[in-house]
Amino acid sequence: MRKLAALLAISVLFVTAGVGLASCGSSGESSGKEGGTLIGTFTGFPDYLDPALSYTAEGWTAMWDTYIPLLTYAHAGGVEGSKVIPGLATEMPKITNGGKTYTLMLTQGLKYSDGTPIKASDFRFAVERMIQLNSGGSPFYMSIVGAEQFQKTKKGPISGIKTNDKTGEIVINLTEPRGTFNNELGLLFVAPLPPDTPIKNLTGDPPPASGPYEIVSSEPGEGWKYERNPEWTKNNSKLLPELPSGHVDKIDVKLVRNSATQVSEIERGTTQWMQSLIPPGLYQQTLSKFKGTQLREEIVPNVYYFWMNMTRAPFNNLKVREAVNYAISSEAMERIYAGSLKQLRQVLPEGIPGHKEYDLYPYNMAKAKELIAEAKPSDTNITVWTDSEPTQEEAGAYYQDQLNKLGFNSKLKIINPDDYFTIIGNKTTPDLDTGWVDWYQDYPHPNDFFQPLLAGESILPTNNNNFAYINDPKLNAKIARLRTEQLGPKQEAEYAELDKEYMEQAPWAPYGQRTLTTFVSSEIDLDKIIFNPTFGQDLTSFQFK
Amino acid sequence: MATELQPAPVDAPHDGAPAGRSPWRLAFARLRQNRVALAFLALFVLIVVFCLAAPLWSTHVAETGPNDTHTLEKITVNGEKKDVVTPDGQPIGPVWFKAGGKFFLGADGRLGRDEMVRLMYGGRTSLFISLAAALVTTLLSIVLGLMAGYYRGWIDAVIARGLDIIWAFPVLLLGIALGTALAVGGLQIGPISISGTSIWIPTLIIGVVYVPYMARPLRGEVLALREKEFVEAAVAQGAGPLRVMFGELLPNLWSTIIVFFTLNIANNMLLESALSFLGAGVQAPNSSWGTMISTGFELIQSAPLLTILPGAMILLTVLSLNVFGDGLRDALDPKSRLRLEVEAHSGLIEPEGPAI
Repeated sequence: MRKLAALLAISVLFVTAGVGLASCGSSGESSGKEGGTLIGTFTGFPDYLDPALSYTAEGWTAMWDTYIPLLTYAHAGGVEGSKVIPGLATEMPKITNGGKTYTLMLTQGLKYSDGTPIKASDFRFAVERMIQLNSGGSPFYMSIVGAEQFQKTKKGPISGIKTNDKTGEIVINLTEPRGTFNNELGLLFVAPLPPDTPIKNLTGDPPPASGPYEIVSSEPGEGWKYERNPEWTKNNSKLLPELPSGHVDKIDVKLVRNSATQVSEIERGTTQWMQSLIPPGLYQQTLSKFKGTQLREEIVPNVYYFWMNMTRAPFNNLKVREAVNYAISSEAMERIYAGSLKQLRQVLPEGIPGHKEYDLYPYNMAKAKELIAEAKPSDTNITVWTDSEPTQEEAGAYYQDQLNKLGFNSKLKIINPDDYFTIIGNKTTPDLDTGWVDWYQDYPHPNDFFQPLLAGESILPTNNNNFAYINDPKLNAKIARLRTEQLGPKQEAEYAELDKEYMEQAPWAPYGQRTLTTFVSSEIDLDKIIFNPTFGQDLTSFQFK
Repeated sequence: MATELQPAPVDAPHDGAPAGRSPWRLAFARLRQNRVALAFLALFVLIVVFCLAAPLWSTHVAETGPNDTHTLEKITVNGEKKDVVTPDGQPIGPVWFKAGGKFFLGADGRLGRDEMVRLMYGGRTSLFISLAAALVTTLLSIVLGLMAGYYRGWIDAVIARGLDIIWAFPVLLLGIALGTALAVGGLQIGPISISGTSIWIPTLIIGVVYVPYMARPLRGEVLALREKEFVEAAVAQGAGPLRVMFGELLPNLWSTIIVFFTLNIANNMLLESALSFLGAGVQAPNSSWGTMISTGFELIQSAPLLTILPGAMILLTVLSLNVFGDGLRDALDPKSRLRLEVEAHSGLIEPEGPAI
């Protein structure tokens, strides 16, 4: 009996322990505090707090959990976070008519934070509003039938979007197949908004939310605040169970212009999160102190490179461009970025389908000088452009020095970051010879690294992103063809090949892929935070320990 | 004991002042008495010599230019190979003469440029801008001050209002606005074209923004002087306006101009540093003490010398110029010292506000 009692007692202990261990294993979902106010800091106010207009990482991080498009991206990090999933739509679109017709169903019964029901026609309104506001996102949707006409006349409706508010059906007709269209439907530009939303920039008074958090106040230049969307809690969360509801009740975001101050505020615990990059001067120090507990490095698809204007001497000579590639040391650039940069000598970065590592031009100064001697460039006066953000300025200074070591007479032109891309993207700006630039993905698709940056049709008089002015008909045709195809293993292999074909022309000297960081105070559970490669930190994943 | 009366020497002092000397010689004699001012003048000369020696140090000791990067290089310090910049981006600290004078004060940051070479060249840039800008200010102020004070009327009104407009802007904000606007396209004045990266851009900006601070007092002096008898006499002898302004009035302004010029150099150096620190002054990769503070500031926790050294150079230069300038003012116009002391004691004057 005593033995039996002891055996029973031991059994009970094992069972209890087993249950305990099992509950520990699933604690990722249930442990931690619910509620509380998260205080975060940004170094600058986002370009816009209006989903139709924002085209920066800051704006997208700020609004990803506020405005839900028909499709969205998985609330996950890494490759998993690149997956497009249904947002307000019930399921992924049915693609018919040879890739030209997309049919979606809106989840019925959803409401905006002001109580207005979400209707299928709100999608068309959102597309039209975005085009009327001349949003930077408009080009993604110009293949919708009637969109170009609407852009010219600003008179609707766009004939290529048919909606049925009763059934929730949305049919989108395209002028040609577009393999990236699912990705583009997942961007905030076309997140449905109430039909009475004013056709103007609403940064100071953001429109009603469809996601778990609504922006309750916005003071440009100061900060903005979120609270839980009451309609999400009551209604939407039950209809969209795949999307997270968030843990904290309120989020206050304030601007702290100096990123070193942002770091020290987190160390002191006066704020809990900084969205911005840790300054290179503090990078290693902060990393060694907080990595694993409060700080995590995030691999995000991006490419940092020096462009060379192929329409101007001396960069109209392939040998000169190759020489420049040989003269740039990724190892030196790693040091300049204080270890926050991974070597990358190609177009497609890690994390993008089709990325296959190679290096056509390993650092070799002797080889670079040989090529220059062979090329005998007629024009040796070069203007190097960069922006005044410290690491970019240093990258530009390093590049200028390397060009001088090759025998050029280069001068550095440093521009305020707010104006930099406008200036170098304007064809009439004098002396656009070469310079620094970075590119972060709009969505995780290889086309996003070729079409806007290297296709001939992307050469524009203003807001140009093809800074090398490369216009190779054969490569243009390949981009255009791949754009119409849905991404699969065959297309990925072709994009990898295209990457090499471009680098053989050497329009750029790519040197690295920047590592971003998530840095939070000790009160926040770092392990729970999701860093999506397209939208950055997911506000719904922040939780107090 | 019989006492032989001796005739007094020609320059024997009468009422405390040597007789028979020109005002300039008198001022020089007074300045020689001011040991503090002379000590600070010597310090300023030392700083200038230090900066002028930059090419010598760069060529024969450091063997590198001010903008040459050494990110991946190693140097031998006491027989041990060391990275100029470590793989995690930390620059080497001062090695003094352990590497034959190379990287005497260490590297300037992640680009691995020689800090000592940049400090010397940076000083040349800062001093050049300060001096050249002071010359620009002085020339413009003399012309405008003389014209406004001599002609009066609508010419005075136009010049005075123009100066008021510049005066109304905070100097630093005006400097930043002009610096940022001119950084891209440069400056085109008739046939003269100045590139946006040229150090003439901050020089001209600084030179112009300080004009009201010198031109207005000069105008006041001219207004008072033009009523004096010697001006009336010159006019009666048929002297034209140019001869009166530059032949009669200007010589009476020199003492004021010299004092202003000296103090203006110090103010220019501070403004140049502030503009360069904020990115609106000297453009990278060229160094000035202001840009060096800006570059070093990011590494202030791990390499504080990168900020302290150029900061100390600015401090010493400005201090030496200010103390010497004060001494010069006392020497050229001893009454002003007495007047200032009396007014200060009687509470008639407010303490001076910041220059910018």
